[in-house]
Amino acid sequence: MHIPDGFLSTPVWATMDAIAAPSIAYIARRAQREFDDHRIPLMGVMGAFIFAAQMINFPVGSGTSGHLVGGALLSFTLGPAAASIVMTAILATQALVFQDGGLLALGANVFNMAIAGVLAGYLPWVLLRGRKAGVFLGGTLSLLVSASLALGELWRSGVRMPASVLAISIALFTVSAIIEGAITLAVVQALERIQPGFIRQPRGLGGKGFRGTSVLAGASLALAAAGMWIASTRPDGIEKLSQQIGLASHARTFLASPLAEYKLQLVSSPFLAKSLAGLIGLFVVYIVCLCVSRVLLASRPAPEQEAA
Amino acid sequence: MRHARIERWSRGNSPIHKRHAAARILATAGLLLSIATLPPAAYRAYVLYFALLLFTAAAARLPPLAMVWTAAAVLPFALCFALATALAGDSGLAVRLVIRSYLSSFAALLLIATTPMPDLVAGLEWLRAPRFLTQVMQFLYRYLIVLMEEANAMRQAGAARAGSLRALQFRQAAGAAGVLFARSYARAEAIHRAMLARGFEGRLPGFRRKRFTFADAGFLAIAASLVAGVRVLLWRS
Repeated sequence: MHIPDGFLSTPVWATMDAIAAPSIAYIARRAQREFDDHRIPLMGVMGAFIFAAQMINFPVGSGTSGHLVGGALLSFTLGPAAASIVMTAILATQALVFQDGGLLALGANVFNMAIAGVLAGYLPWVLLRGRKAGVFLGGTLSLLVSASLALGELWRSGVRMPASVLAISIALFTVSAIIEGAITLAVVQALERIQPGFIRQPRGLGGKGFRGTSVLAGASLALAAAGMWIASTRPDGIEKLSQQIGLASHARTFLASPLAEYKLQLVSSPFLAKSLAGLIGLFVVYIVCLCVSRVLLASRPAPEQEAA
Repeated sequence: MRHARIERWSRGNSPIHKRHAAARILATAGLLLSIATLPPAAYRAYVLYFALLLFTAAAARLPPLAMVWTAAAVLPFALCFALATALAGDSGLAVRLVIRSYLSSFAALLLIATTPMPDLVAGLEWLRAPRFLTQVMQFLYRYLIVLMEEANAMRQAGAARAGSLRALQFRQAAGAAGVLFARSYARAEAIHRAMLARGFEGRLPGFRRKRFTFADAGFLAIAASLVAGVRVLLWRS
């Protein structure tokens, strides 16, 4: 499920973007070291494969059919870090070229599907040491986790639906998650018949790449929860903070809080200061992202190709 | 085909097309931000932004009607959710969901319809997006149609052999996906070897590495002031 722009409230998409951007920068670094620059064509072509594989219909009875989503399959074949990057490239391409999913909501979609989804697919596979049940569970969980995260973000943004509709959509998500599990298992088995080398050997939980990625995912999940909670349930706290910094009421009105006294505040505060506050905020976020990636870059020995 | 049409649009030669991709990316981001943070009752601002988008599309010599139609791809999803929201009793939000997602989708379409993929990647890299990711995106885009054609050919071949257009059985479909995976992998390795032979060093060369000129900064300033101007108008009235 790709969330388009306009569905998530500002605190939600801003938090998800702020978390997803540095995470992907970090995972890109990691994948780059694992794979080196010369594997870039492979990852791009495998991303295109996922697009193409979605044209193959899997009949699941009563006239309906499903198709491969692929996050879990990619993590079994390329490893979790590379799978995250390929999924991110897929999501970005879908958002840009096919208008499938929003650009501001890209952070949320990337977090749901490329980070949490890939990890949720990889974890059971590693824990069950690549057994059939692990492959099936991996496919199922990757979709289930992405879908419930997306639903949670929509809910947090104030998008409500009647209980019956919610129940139906959760049931639909569960069914499609199980179908994804079955498809992933069937494709993995077909691949093992065609050429056994495609599926990696699960290296166990001790693998360095795995530990790094899962710590990152856990930390960002906690950050996401805390950030959204602070940002959306306690606008007072943010206001106090911004008053201390000196941005006073502008920041809040800029973020268009749906409050009754909104108009009054707008009239009483100068426009220029408000937009300035917003721009400064954006600029700060951009600089923080740059700095985080610099720090991450500096803390690891960069590969040779970086110099070019 | 929708995709080929957007690709053709992006090769235009209008004043909008000529600007640095980073300037268009930033302008689009500014508009998206403004749309996302508009107060609930700002219906006039939505109209003005739509007019601004149509005007820019016309300035980029893109067919406005075809653009309006192409951007509507977001509507099925948006309408489903809007319906659910309306059923939950919040019809105001339902209308806003549809309008905002449509306008945002139009803005994203305008960006990609004026920016060929290599330029877009150059713009993203100019804005310091991770190069590894942008290069993967560029390869993905290059082989997208090739592999989709391959999948299509396999589907036709399967249908021809099965003697009818009956849907493939589950295991046959899995086999087809597995074969497609193996072929994609082999193709990726062949591409890689061929590129190494031609001196590939981890990035695709840009044909037109552009500088960010004063004209680009001017375009960005005009776009930003138009986006901000709509908000000023809204607040003044």
